[in-house]
Amino acid sequence: MRAANAIAGTLYYYAPVALLILCWDLGSRLGLLSADLLPSPEATLAAFRAVLDSGELAQQASVSLFRESMGFLASVVVGTVLGIAMARIEWARVLIRPVVTFFYPMPKTALIPILLLWFGLGDMSKIAAIFLGCLLPVVISSYNGARGVEPLLVWSARSLGAGKFGVLWKIILMAALPDILSGVRMALALSWLLLVSAELLLAQKGLGFMIGYYGETGDYATMFSAIIVVVLIGSISDRLFLALMGWSLRWRNLSA
Amino acid sequence: MAQPLGVKKPAGAWFTAFKRGPARFAFGVVLLIAWEISVDAGFINPYLMPAPSAIAIRMAKELASGTLVSDTVLTMYRAFVGFLSASVVGVVIGTLAARNAPARWFFDPLVSIGFPAPKIAFMPLFVLWFGLGDSAKIMMIVFTCVFPVISATYLGTASIDRYLIWSARNLGVSRRGIVWKVVVPAALPQILNGLQIAFPMSLIVTVVTEMITSGGGLGGYMIMAARDALSEQVFVGIFTIAIVGYVLLNGFDRLRRHLLRWHTESMTAM
Amino acid sequence: MSKIKFIGVKKAFPGHGAEAVIALDGIDLGIGQDEFVSVVGPSGCGKSTLLYLLGGFLELSAGQILVDGKPVTEPSPERGIVFQHFALFPWKTVMGNVEFGLAESGMPKDERRAVAQRYIDMVKLTGFEHSFPNRLSGGMQQRVALARTLACDPDVLLMDEPFGALDAQTRHILQQELLEIWRRQKKTVLFVTHDVREAVILSERVVVLSARPGRIKAVLDTKLGADAPRTAVEDLCETIWSLLREEMALTA
Repeated sequence: MRAANAIAGTLYYYAPVALLILCWDLGSRLGLLSADLLPSPEATLAAFRAVLDSGELAQQASVSLFRESMGFLASVVVGTVLGIAMARIEWARVLIRPVVTFFYPMPKTALIPILLLWFGLGDMSKIAAIFLGCLLPVVISSYNGARGVEPLLVWSARSLGAGKFGVLWKIILMAALPDILSGVRMALALSWLLLVSAELLLAQKGLGFMIGYYGETGDYATMFSAIIVVVLIGSISDRLFLALMGWSLRWRNLSA
Repeated sequence: MAQPLGVKKPAGAWFTAFKRGPARFAFGVVLLIAWEISVDAGFINPYLMPAPSAIAIRMAKELASGTLVSDTVLTMYRAFVGFLSASVVGVVIGTLAARNAPARWFFDPLVSIGFPAPKIAFMPLFVLWFGLGDSAKIMMIVFTCVFPVISATYLGTASIDRYLIWSARNLGVSRRGIVWKVVVPAALPQILNGLQIAFPMSLIVTVVTEMITSGGGLGGYMIMAARDALSEQVFVGIFTIAIVGYVLLNGFDRLRRHLLRWHTESMTAM
Repeated sequence: MSKIKFIGVKKAFPGHGAEAVIALDGIDLGIGQDEFVSVVGPSGCGKSTLLYLLGGFLELSAGQILVDGKPVTEPSPERGIVFQHFALFPWKTVMGNVEFGLAESGMPKDERRAVAQRYIDMVKLTGFEHSFPNRLSGGMQQRVALARTLACDPDVLLMDEPFGALDAQTRHILQQELLEIWRRQKKTVLFVTHDVREAVILSERVVVLSARPGRIKAVLDTKLGADAPRTAVEDLCETIWSLLREEMALTA
């Protein structure tokens, strides 16, 4: 009974999306939407099936996902370490913080052209774009998170024998986790933006490239199906990350 | 002088003064100097990473010829127009969704799906629809930036203290006047939070849309330079946009703090 | 003719389960012109609800509330209200808050500044006109709320545990100031509080509500002349407390 309620709830929640798709379909059928401007749902679905069956979609998607995971994970790991270091080690903060505050406001996408010069059209330019773009947001949220760790936690850990690194860092990491994860969630959304941008501009493979390529060759149905795939991947990854956040923070008593 | 056990030695006066003043630039200056020396000494390929001195000269040339200024102005214009439009649309939709159940039903899934999605993927479609001019870029900026504004506005306006609304009605405000006289001002801190996310986003999107359409502005300038292998110009672009971003975002933060000087909670920021 | 009349007033709220929560179950009460009446009762007895109904913020489930013979339908500056947590507009200065009602009524700027200034002086906040509420203490904020409501010169003053969020000293001071204002300005006051002593000291009559569903348990005359014995206040308090204890034993 509860499961049925949950399913009904989900259907009701996403009903507006279904409504929009319906309008899309009607618009196409009635000729209100020119096929040159917006392909019909049928055509999009057919194009999607085509690239799926031919294996092209899987190929391009795996390239994109590879680049994304490399860049994003690197930025998360490096960013977290840097941020916590800045919070715990005074000289690190004094020296690095001004540089971070200067470069943080710079639009991350501005790095793409220089990466084209440095790394050309291969995987590295996309990975670097994601890494560099997502680094500072993660640094800042880790810094804020680690800064807010209760001194009592650290003192009691020290009194139990935790040394400078190792165990102590683990404790600070756990205490700062909520802040870090919020920052990482934002960085995740940013990473998709950087990936797609870089693939639209300087790539010969990948989902972003697919969108651009099929747009240029006039195959709008395939282009649109690729767009939808990308949008869904971005959305679903966020949902999955939220679930991960919920699970890893389950030890927290969240009041209200 | 002996310190009690367990107390960290206090930092010397020298270090404290250093922290406040020169330290802020120390690392940056050191990096610049190291960079310059590395290029001169041949450790770094000047094609990939020109010396800061070369970049500075190039910047002076571009400024003198006026192209850098006009590109910067163009980028800022597009970002502003997009940001302001997104703000207005976002506040209206957010407030509507908070106070009207059908509106909330409609926008909720759209925002929750759309917010984290890379909407830049739609750019080729927007170009198809709106051409290569400003419209496509501004539409994309609005499309991207409207989400954080809707989300924050909704949060702010949905959680208004009912006693504020009752006080206002008690003092003669009509039912319709409540939204603009009470709800929006009371939600201002949250709304400004959303705007603070949307604002840098508008710059990010402007730059990349300019690159995708090779449409002038600082983004177009940088991507053309990159395609022509003019690394100095690319770095000129990077530093220019970094400075623009820094100035604008700091200005926005100041404005926000001024607008919220009546607010009790202080926001933690770096 | 009573200034305010509650006739068979009932209020029910939709409950979490199937049961509705009956906050008030048949209140009949008359309040005379310029009378100062307090309402006390156990927690959850609906005393604030009574106030909100009179203020026009909530709708009646049954019965009528008449002010000057006319039924209450909507909030109005004629029935000014002061809330426990002040409900000041935090984005407006003290002056901005106090002149708010006057601005709504269309009073021109110079006139309303002058009127607002009078009331700011009356509540002893001269000099703070351009401060924001976040810079003021609780007592000061409540004075602003009082000035804001009084500036519209309401006939009826509704007070919802107005001093409940303040410390004892500030409470005492504001109680005296409120009495002074009431004596000078002649208003009908309905004062809700959980502090029995405060009710006895301030008001001429005290209405004691029962536990939920709220009904009138008793109405006591607490007008104390200058020749009242020293123990009069304590005796009245004790009477009311014993009534309340009865009610609380029922809900325990």
